Amino acid sequence: MTGSHRRILIVEDDPETAGQLVEQLTTSGYQVDLATCGSEALGRGAAGEYAIITIDRMLPDIDGIAVMRQLRCDGVAAPFLIISALGEVDDRVRGLRAGGDDYLVKPFSFIELLARLEALGRRSDTVAKETILRVGDLAIDLISRTASRRGKDIDLLPREFQLLEYLARNESRVVSRTMLLQHVWDLHFDPSTNIIDVYVGRVRRKVDDQQAYPLIHTVRGIGYCLRAPD
Amino acid sequence: MLLTKTLASSTFKLALIAIGTFGVIASAIFGYVYLSTSAYVRSRSDRAITAEVASLRDTYDRSGRDGLIDVIRQRTADQTFAGHAYVLADPASTVLAANLEKWPPTAMASGWTEFRVPWASPGSTDPLVRGMVHTFASGDRLLVGRDISDLDRFTRQIKTAVISGASLVFVLAAVASILVTRRTVGRIEQINATSRAIMAHGLDKRIPLRGTHDEWDRVAENLNLMLERIEILMGEVKQVSDNLAHDLRTPLTRMRGRLEKAYHGKRFDEDAQALIGDTIADLDAVLRIFTSITRIAEIETQVRKQAFRTVNLVEIAREVVELYDAAAEENGNSLTMTGDGEVPAIGDRDLIFDAIANLVDNAIKHGRPGGRVVVASETMNGSPIVSIEDDGPGIPADQHEQVFKRFYRLEQSRYTPGNGLGLSLVAAVARLHGARIEMSAKAPGLLLKLWFPAPGPPQQ
Repeated sequence: MTGSHRRILIVEDDPETAGQLVEQLTTSGYQVDLATCGSEALGRGAAGEYAIITIDRMLPDIDGIAVMRQLRCDGVAAPFLIISALGEVDDRVRGLRAGGDDYLVKPFSFIELLARLEALGRRSDTVAKETILRVGDLAIDLISRTASRRGKDIDLLPREFQLLEYLARNESRVVSRTMLLQHVWDLHFDPSTNIIDVYVGRVRRKVDDQQAYPLIHTVRGIGYCLRAPD
Repeated sequence: MLLTKTLASSTFKLALIAIGTFGVIASAIFGYVYLSTSAYVRSRSDRAITAEVASLRDTYDRSGRDGLIDVIRQRTADQTFAGHAYVLADPASTVLAANLEKWPPTAMASGWTEFRVPWASPGSTDPLVRGMVHTFASGDRLLVGRDISDLDRFTRQIKTAVISGASLVFVLAAVASILVTRRTVGRIEQINATSRAIMAHGLDKRIPLRGTHDEWDRVAENLNLMLERIEILMGEVKQVSDNLAHDLRTPLTRMRGRLEKAYHGKRFDEDAQALIGDTIADLDAVLRIFTSITRIAEIETQVRKQAFRTVNLVEIAREVVELYDAAAEENGNSLTMTGDGEVPAIGDRDLIFDAIANLVDNAIKHGRPGGRVVVASETMNGSPIVSIEDDGPGIPADQHEQVFKRFYRLEQSRYTPGNGLGLSLVAAVARLHGARIEMSAKAPGLLLKLWFPAPGPPQQ
């Protein structure tokens, strides 16, 4: 990744949350700029080349969505990650996802944010044209919608295939439960049970049972990661 | 529509009773007038006839049959006695003296009689005659009468007037009451329509005023004032909870951030890290409760209604079943799905999914271990429905209403995981969609049905 791809603009009015974000994202290797209000965001966003811009929906001066729209008009192409409180997740916010943008509901875990940023950043610099995804000895055929390990077919339901495909597309990256719900089930709420864990558990049995090494790894407190051993 | 409501309204029924009572009284008064008028008219001529019969009997007694014939002839020739009818006949009904053409066939041996017989003079019309017959000891019969055609016409006129007057009163009263009732029903219907709109779309609707300053406008004004107060109060409650939500979220986000930082900081040993991990998990549980409450509150604001579109209930239910299949399997339950191919309803997919997911989750968690859960969806009598049935212990009938309250938990499930908000969310989603929740006990188990309103013409 080039330097500009790791540059990120954070628009957040709460000083402590902003401070934590800056510190943690810097630790994670991002080059972070901070704007604490809408007008500052407009100035910085238009001037700098950012890979991603995260924006709080509720800002003291201008509405986050309005800032975003203005920056788009100014020709800023970077994907936006909207951070909003629940109840503000209306259809306007949801509609953004179609444009390559994403949203996150407050309060969120930092790993969740990081997972989203990774996914958003990747979207802008890779164009996937593969017909077969490979992770270790797992092969996922996107045309015939089948998966196999070492040539042996894995019997998957359509939704289970989608889940595995999504994990494979984010190989070696952490995928949160909420991201799975959004991308595999198109659900924009948290059923607040362990339902996803149980579901992934079943897929894991189908994929990893009686194999040389496990591929689906649980990331405590956040979600899952599909990766081959080093 | 309005006419049916008019006819069915209590005002109209009252009006009908009033018209009925009034009509009976009016008819009685008119009837009395008619009867007493005709009786008066007849009694006057009857008295005169009686007197004349008496005087002619005297003549017969004094001067015999021929004397009476003379008197009758004199009288029939006299213009003063115009309209007086006389007939004297022998026992064989042969007319001896008369100014009528013949002895009236209906006349009896004695007493009062009424008949039509032409005058003896040629070219005259048939008069209506009321007369009295007297039979003498010799068998001769005398009839004395009066032409009461005029009187009869008079009483008939009265009768016509009375009947048409009474009918007119009836018709006018009926028309008046329909008009008055229609007006009343129209206003009440307006108030009803507004109330329905408020229940369906929120508190911003008002009852239109007519500007007539009548009692209906005053009722509408007062109701509108009440609505305004309620709207202000609701707005305040919402604002308070919104502020609370926002103000609590910010410190919670910070708190979680700090804990996470500590958790990933590797400065602690494994025990301390586990403690921090558990604290994050607990904090998440608190946040989830909080999220659920905010979510229910958000659903209740009805804003989501703007995003309603046609959805297929079977498809949503099938997706839920698919998602929960693994969980049911883990619990040893069988989770199956039956239903039509397509059950269209108007609504929000996410919310309906959430509601069905909550119900299925409950059925798996609180049903019989190793039992079965059946989700079904079909269109019944035009209404799209989703039903969830389990064969577990069910819910006692007296608590069917209670379980939809926030934080309500059954005694038997107090120690199973959950926060008592799932069914409140289901209830809120149902309210938003105008759906009805029907809970019925099975032996054993519980059957829960969501009746959605029949979808209108497809949207978009």
